[in-house]
Amino acid sequence: MSASKATAANRFGLGARPGELERSGDGREILLAQLARSPAHSEFQGLPSSAATMLLEHKQLAASREARAQRKSAAGAMSADAAPAMAAQAAGAEPAADSGRDGPADRRSAALRRELREQQSREYAARFSHAAHTDAPFVERLVQFWSNHFAVSVDKGDTRLYAAPMEREAIRPHVLGRFQDMLLAVETHPAMLRYLDNAISIGDDSAVAQRAAQLRRERRGLNENLAREILELHTLGVDGGYRQDDVIELARAITGWSALNSNEAQDYGDRAPGSGFVFRARTHEPGARRVLGRDYAEGGVEQGRAVLADLARHPSTARHLSFKLARHFVADQPPKALVERMAQAYLREAGDLRAMYRAMVESDAAWSADACKFKTPNDFVISALRAGELTVDARALTGLLSRLGQPVFTPRSPAGFADTAADWSSPDGLWKRIQAAQMLAARVDGRGAAPYPRALAVLGESAVQGDFAIGLRRAGSASEGHALLFASPAFQWRA
Amino acid sequence: MDPQRRGLLAAFGASALLTLFPAAAGAAGRAGAAADTRLLLVLLRGGLDGLHWLPPYADPAYARLRAAAAVEEPIRIDGLFGLHPAMTRTAAMYRAGQALPVVAIAPPYRARSHFDAQDCLENGTARPGGARDGWLGRCVGALPAGESGLAVAAVMPLALRGNARASNWWPPLPKAVDPQLLQLLRPLYAADPRLDETFERSTRFAEQARAGAGVFDLAEAMRVAGERMGVDGGPRIGFVEDSGWDSHRNQAPQLARKLAELDRGLAAARDGFGAAWSRTVVAVVTEFGRTAQINGTGGTDHGTGAMALLCGGAVRGGRIAGDWPGLGPNQLNEGRDLRTTTDLRALFKALAGEHLGVPERVLETGLFPDSRAIAPLSGWRAT
Repeated sequence: MSASKATAANRFGLGARPGELERSGDGREILLAQLARSPAHSEFQGLPSSAATMLLEHKQLAASREARAQRKSAAGAMSADAAPAMAAQAAGAEPAADSGRDGPADRRSAALRRELREQQSREYAARFSHAAHTDAPFVERLVQFWSNHFAVSVDKGDTRLYAAPMEREAIRPHVLGRFQDMLLAVETHPAMLRYLDNAISIGDDSAVAQRAAQLRRERRGLNENLAREILELHTLGVDGGYRQDDVIELARAITGWSALNSNEAQDYGDRAPGSGFVFRARTHEPGARRVLGRDYAEGGVEQGRAVLADLARHPSTARHLSFKLARHFVADQPPKALVERMAQAYLREAGDLRAMYRAMVESDAAWSADACKFKTPNDFVISALRAGELTVDARALTGLLSRLGQPVFTPRSPAGFADTAADWSSPDGLWKRIQAAQMLAARVDGRGAAPYPRALAVLGESAVQGDFAIGLRRAGSASEGHALLFASPAFQWRA
Repeated sequence: MDPQRRGLLAAFGASALLTLFPAAAGAAGRAGAAADTRLLLVLLRGGLDGLHWLPPYADPAYARLRAAAAVEEPIRIDGLFGLHPAMTRTAAMYRAGQALPVVAIAPPYRARSHFDAQDCLENGTARPGGARDGWLGRCVGALPAGESGLAVAAVMPLALRGNARASNWWPPLPKAVDPQLLQLLRPLYAADPRLDETFERSTRFAEQARAGAGVFDLAEAMRVAGERMGVDGGPRIGFVEDSGWDSHRNQAPQLARKLAELDRGLAAARDGFGAAWSRTVVAVVTEFGRTAQINGTGGTDHGTGAMALLCGGAVRGGRIAGDWPGLGPNQLNEGRDLRTTTDLRALFKALAGEHLGVPERVLETGLFPDSRAIAPLSGWRAT
């Protein structure tokens, strides 16, 4: 099976930039070469660690609390009639507009909030920019695949600032390594610990719970949300052979896995450890655990790690991951033989992700002409940036992706964004792509390549024929021609 | 507790299986299925805690299981059940006989994955992956030619996939499309067998532009659905979805906000439907219920038995429907959550059959395969 460069760039990459198809080697060699080295990550230089962000977040919350307290005492001094408004404030409601928002604490809180917002914009800009410029687009597709596999959504308030850092801190370093390491990095990242509530889960017989019982205080307890999604979504898959008992036992094993709190963040200051993970022995459920028929002795944080290590190498995990990966790159219903081949390679190489990727790239099925995927809105936009050599405007792109139905880091659920043509190819979705194609085309620099040669350079000659070629050559303006390129069916499919 | 309520409670008994649906009255209602009826399905993704939006406030087991997290001051619409206090408009509909809560109802799926349960609810079979299109999509196909379906959603939901007369809509991008570009694109899409029809249908959205002002939330989506469906010749089947109902921690404020949104949405849908409201059913469903007991973090975890709500002029409401299994330790499913006593397909079959007029044979073969043993609910419809 021949492996064309156009297929390497469009099916496995993020769409070609002009010049990309002129690289040496056939498509297969180009992809395997990308797996052999770590891509440059200059765009991500200087972004703060999650722990540093936490410190900033805690400062902002403290300033906001202080400002509220100041307003409250000011209101109390004014008159007793203000009591209902104060009650509303205490309950977390927005204060009335006339209660004043210009004290020093207010100003500090607003400035910190602005800083956090700007930090998040920088994260998104770096991510768009890297995708638009990387010369290892296959690796970037893999990063985004895993990021979606381990989906966290910023519409949950306390996850908002950490979704992009999780991709950067927990996924990028392991994308060409072992799944076990990526799994551990993700499940100990504050974004995931907060998103699926493990940060506040407490063992029913933990030291903290016992102390609360002694003091007759109300106490929190076990939360099984993260454990369930680890089994169902992250490792074994929903039919992977686990039961409710396994969910609870895993949830107990990972009690104590949490993120820095306010005081701890301040104690660490600038020396805060990277992701902000902390293990709280006092909330950990003591005792041995039994998951999937295997026993795990008490061992603090090591107990949960041991379970994850076994889950990572489980045959169900190998099949679940292989299926999703093959569906992502090859076909909505990937050939069973391909999935099995990838799973076997993964198991043989002790959970090495590169072995699984190589098994896919080396198989003929992955290059067959009828293997075909419809681009997600994100990949449609990124491939237009690359094809049109556009500069990245992160704010505009973030808004555009929301309208196209794939808002940045906001999947509807922990299952992540959907990954089949039926999910993205509705009439409304296609219409918005045509609108977006026009908007993006208007920004392509008319002094560069004309639409027809640009289409040849990014899609390859065989995809630019007949009416398409005629339309591109005859377009009334460069902008119209580029809109035709981006809106064309050839540009929506990963051929 | 006043003596009257205590009496009611005694009559219900903690273990009594309470049947509030009248005995099946056969398919006699079918003849009354008025033409031009409307069905709007509202799917709340994430598993809405039925015991929170429809708290059985008078059941002592409820107070024990929920403790401090029990709903304070529910709107008492019944001797046993109340509505969450955020749902004042819904309570007014209930009093007007236009809202019918259905208790302990869920899709046949009994495990605890959101995504599998939603898949099952939408595909209309007893298992995830049981069909690659949705029962509402197949339902559109069973309607007379010229009648259509509409999802107010950014991405076509599984529920409404499967028929070309179903489409989706979401607030558009501001820029108008150049007609010249469409002319150039037409032959290219015509030559793509997978996209040609999609393209032709997409070009119809040009006329449907709508200023995307404000936040497009659930309430706004329900208003749009009502406005689109309420006009003569409008879609007879509609679908609206919302996420954010998964409440693993500190659920009281979360659900207070979300239920207020749903409450506004029901009123907005009614206003949107206008005169067609009398021929309309809005069905609010979720994929499963949650644990009966509050968890360690002020929330609830995935469970089974959920609640549903029918609203509209075509509903005989002002009552509670469904079989209430009770909340006693031996009555709970796996000792942890509300048992399911009604298969959601029984409700869906009634809506598709009695309300939209889909023939029974099509219900059993096309819409809900292998559902012969499940009788459509009866007695829910205003006559």
